[in-house]
Amino acid sequence: MAYKNKYRYGPPALKNNVDMQLQSAFSDGNWSTVVRLAAKRFATFKDPYYEAIKVSAEAQQQGAAEKCAVLVHVDELVKSKKTPDIDTLDLYEWACQDFIGYEIDFAETFGPLRARWVKANASSPMAASCLQGCLEQWDLVSAQQIAATLDKTNANSADRRYMFWNITLTFLLSVSPQCTEASRKVYSLLTVRQLQKAADITENSDKLEKTDRGLLTEEEVCLYYRVLLSHGTKEEFLTRLRSPKLGAISQLRQGHKLLFCECLDALETWGEWDTIYELCRDALKLGLDGSTTPFFVCDLRIWKKALDEVQDVLKQFIELKDKATPMYKKNISLALLETTFGLPSTTINPNHENKALSPKVIQIGLFLDQYYERFAAFDDVKGYVAELGYEEAKTFLEDVLPKIPGENPTKAQQIIITALESRLRYTLTTCPQTLSPHPTVVEGTDQGKPFQCRVCTKFAKSPCEDCLKKLIVDAAEAYSQIATDKELLATIPKLDRDPRLDLALVMGNSLLKLSGLRPGLSNFAQSLWQDVQPDVLLQAVLLLDTQLKVTPNDNGLRLLLVQLYLLFGCASYAYQLWVPLEVKRTIQDALSPLFFDRISSISPGLFQGTKPLMEPLRAYYSQSLRDPSPVRIWDAFSSGSYTSILDMAEYDKKLRTSCTLVMTLVEERRATRYFGGKLDVDIDDHILAADIVEDTTLVHKTDYGSFPNLESSNGPPIQEFIRLGPGPSQYLDLLTYTPPKDYKPSKPADAAARDKAYTLESLTRINTSLTDFLHKPTTPTLLTTSETNYYTALSLLSALTLTAISLPKSEPSVPNIVSQTTQSLKTTLTTLRAGLMSPKSPVAVSTQQAISSLCDMPAFASVRDIAMAAKLSAGFVLSYHEKETARDKSGKSGLHKEVVAEMKALESAATKTLADAKAHVGVLKGVMNESGWLDRLLNVVLGEEDKEQDEVTEKVSQVVEGRGGAEEWAGKVVDSWREGVKGWGMVRFE
Amino acid sequence: MANFRRFRPDDLNKLSKCNLDPLTETYELSFYLQYYAKWPSLFQVAEDENGNIIGYIMGKLESSPNVYKISEHYLPWHAHITAVTVAPEARRLGIGKLLTEQLEAAGDAGNAWFVDLFVRKTNHKAIKFYESMGYSIFRVVKEYYGDHSTDPTQNSEDAYDMRKPLKRDVKKEHIRDDGEKHEVDPTDVW
Repeated sequence: MAYKNKYRYGPPALKNNVDMQLQSAFSDGNWSTVVRLAAKRFATFKDPYYEAIKVSAEAQQQGAAEKCAVLVHVDELVKSKKTPDIDTLDLYEWACQDFIGYEIDFAETFGPLRARWVKANASSPMAASCLQGCLEQWDLVSAQQIAATLDKTNANSADRRYMFWNITLTFLLSVSPQCTEASRKVYSLLTVRQLQKAADITENSDKLEKTDRGLLTEEEVCLYYRVLLSHGTKEEFLTRLRSPKLGAISQLRQGHKLLFCECLDALETWGEWDTIYELCRDALKLGLDGSTTPFFVCDLRIWKKALDEVQDVLKQFIELKDKATPMYKKNISLALLETTFGLPSTTINPNHENKALSPKVIQIGLFLDQYYERFAAFDDVKGYVAELGYEEAKTFLEDVLPKIPGENPTKAQQIIITALESRLRYTLTTCPQTLSPHPTVVEGTDQGKPFQCRVCTKFAKSPCEDCLKKLIVDAAEAYSQIATDKELLATIPKLDRDPRLDLALVMGNSLLKLSGLRPGLSNFAQSLWQDVQPDVLLQAVLLLDTQLKVTPNDNGLRLLLVQLYLLFGCASYAYQLWVPLEVKRTIQDALSPLFFDRISSISPGLFQGTKPLMEPLRAYYSQSLRDPSPVRIWDAFSSGSYTSILDMAEYDKKLRTSCTLVMTLVEERRATRYFGGKLDVDIDDHILAADIVEDTTLVHKTDYGSFPNLESSNGPPIQEFIRLGPGPSQYLDLLTYTPPKDYKPSKPADAAARDKAYTLESLTRINTSLTDFLHKPTTPTLLTTSETNYYTALSLLSALTLTAISLPKSEPSVPNIVSQTTQSLKTTLTTLRAGLMSPKSPVAVSTQQAISSLCDMPAFASVRDIAMAAKLSAGFVLSYHEKETARDKSGKSGLHKEVVAEMKALESAATKTLADAKAHVGVLKGVMNESGWLDRLLNVVLGEEDKEQDEVTEKVSQVVEGRGGAEEWAGKVVDSWREGVKGWGMVRFE
Repeated sequence: MANFRRFRPDDLNKLSKCNLDPLTETYELSFYLQYYAKWPSLFQVAEDENGNIIGYIMGKLESSPNVYKISEHYLPWHAHITAVTVAPEARRLGIGKLLTEQLEAAGDAGNAWFVDLFVRKTNHKAIKFYESMGYSIFRVVKEYYGDHSTDPTQNSEDAYDMRKPLKRDVKKEHIRDDGEKHEVDPTDVW
């Protein structure tokens, strides 16, 4: 039943009865001969198939009229209402392949024609190929019609797929935008009824045969529940869930786990906790009574949901524990922990004996007793430790944890415990129970420290800075101890995890917090460096970078560093760290934003490399979204994988509206503009943006799973502290607009009128779009301050341009809004210019100032973009005025003189800003070319050589082996900054 | 710590723990979706508490095309392990074994004769793992891989085609004791 999508590879085979001469001309692609021979055969035999050959061959030729003749024939076929010949259809579809999706819509032409053919030839083996053809073009209306015909014809067939193709497609259509609102309800109802009937057949028959129209396979049953979830009632779902044959437990007994997992998801959404508990309990019992293999459902998820009253079940599993694989043993141990934490403290500790050494603490201890040396030990217990009360946590860290390796621990065991303790202490600094509220105002003065730390008793902010400093000092000492102990160093490769990595992460994270870095700081801070301490932040980076040399295969650390380097403008070095991760093919969609988001505004120079920077991403989307249908959808149909069909359709929809896809287009186009390159196509017409319209909600799926996260759930994860965020623009596309070459109205006045109408319409659309976007309550959280400035400026410019062009010259006065808007834009430009460095400035640029500028390149990019947009807008309006004045000598056309004056002033202000921006890059270049940068940077990070260091800096120095050890790092950072500035030097500022 | 369930396409956005590991290959979207479309019950994942995928197995059920039926290399209806991987942090917990057992169960449900897989001849750890699970060498595929995992001076490496009989193979007709002595060319492998 394989449908060969032959059109991608070549023309279809001609009918067998076509003579050899014509056959060989056709297969050789000798189209003029084919046209001649086919015309001759048609005249002789009067067989319209020959005419179809002729028309299809003509479509391969160069002339526009010949090429398009096939469209007329297809149109005639559609209108004729006759059953078409399938071979003719194949020929025409091949001949039209370049027109489908543009001049002709498959769903209005070949789709209905194929459906019509199948209706008349339902038992033909070609019918399924027609279904496949419609599916590959994602024409769900025709596909559903074909599937319904096939189902009717094969109602008693042992091939059950016909019935379920019909049901699946009816369902897909009912949830698709291709379905009319009027039909949606009918299709929804139809799907539910068909499946209900099938479910009843299954429930009421002793043994179902393949020819019965009931639900037999796991896929069929799950399809029923998916449809119920979408179109049925909750009551019906819950009733069926408990039914004897199609219930979740009954299916589990047959080894079908999918339904059980999907039902848990649905029940969780509805908050049906009692049902969840019952199901999980019954499922666990199945393993004990031998109905399934014992550990078939022993997922931690099941234990967690059933924990309240399943202690008896758990006890029985504990008895079986020795027979289980390590994974299930661990799940049972975690289930015990979960049970202890899930029960009220009065139940587990009724006599309130020793609150500090509580059953929770003991249970964590027992768990770690078995697993403290394992890679995931910290992640396993972090959440539980964070839930402990202060006294419990203190007892756990001071009395329980140190004793876990026993009385005579090895050095390695000791250091593993130290690293674990260090990480857990860090986590506890992010927990509220370690801080007590404290009046912040003392004698009328705000002390800025609203807490008293329960660990160190000092007054503190959250987190406690003194505790963080102590953590760094302790971790650094442990780190240095390892570094100087040959025996320990030799043991490390045999351990599950390098304790130096854990200690470095504690130090790095603590330094990041101490530097003043906060979640989203880079979003709202005018300059990141005004709010953070650069020396401390850079110490964190230096220390983590040093660790990466020790553990280069740790991807979490590498990703953390990539983001940190982007944060302070070392894009080329971040790229060097990014490349070895080999983010390619499918995982690009989820991981690429970690490097590429906003990359053009950080370092446009990266786009000037020998390989196009975004090529792998573009290639991935071009390949995966090439067809209108979801990738491999026919495979799922032909295999009867109905739930896969639904999931694949959903996944495809998300991929077509992926944030990463938009990021790919935006970054590449922005970089192209920076270098004065030509954009191939308007963003609206970009083939990869076909499914993205004004109100599309983009799907954000960045995978932060590999980031090392030491934070507790009381605060945001580490990536929130160190990343930047997105924003598309269509505005500059309009300003580079030129009318299509093949459309030239003969009268210049007509052409001018059409151009003006297009411009006004586009400007209105852009202005409305930007205004809506800027007024959305969520927008401020999606943009940095400089991006907000940029989009606000674009909004003003689009409004100004619109008013300027639409205002008749004859108006006695210009509305105030014109001068107000222009003034506002000019003020913005003047303010932005003030922030730039000038070569005329008498004072030398300090190291701090230079670093601050190097780290704020995205803000600088927005200065350049605002000025460029203002210049292009003003230029666009003025050139429109000149064109109109030249075209219409009567003097009636053109723009109002006040508008012209305002625009000239705006253009001049923008030009000055651009010149200053260019000079700013020049200054930076000059500063970076000065000698002594290594020392200058190291002085910032580790302090000047002859001066005393504070304790934290001293410890950091020790870990990175002093200035000598840090020099290589400093060299890389400085080189990367220089490279970034060099890239900016190539950007166009005029 | 881990939940086992069938793969779903959204899992492709949570593969970093497995696929950033250099030992795990990342394929094109169509490759993953082909397996999910055709053999969803043979595509299983293990996920951690936060929904990250920490292990997965991809397999298929098939036989050689009918035209090869007369060939001595013809493979009857069987399950094949295409890829199995476990994230570094989740290793040594038996996740690979559990995933493989799940695929074998799906193979039994699909009435397959045996499960087979290819492994590099120098990948002793993996070979030992499969042997512990009842797999044995059925044949040696000469120069199956286009590179060598341990010797950069060589441009190919042999593979072991390992098999484990399933319930259908009651008489154990599809395995042999002296598989290492049976050498075939990559062209003989379908």
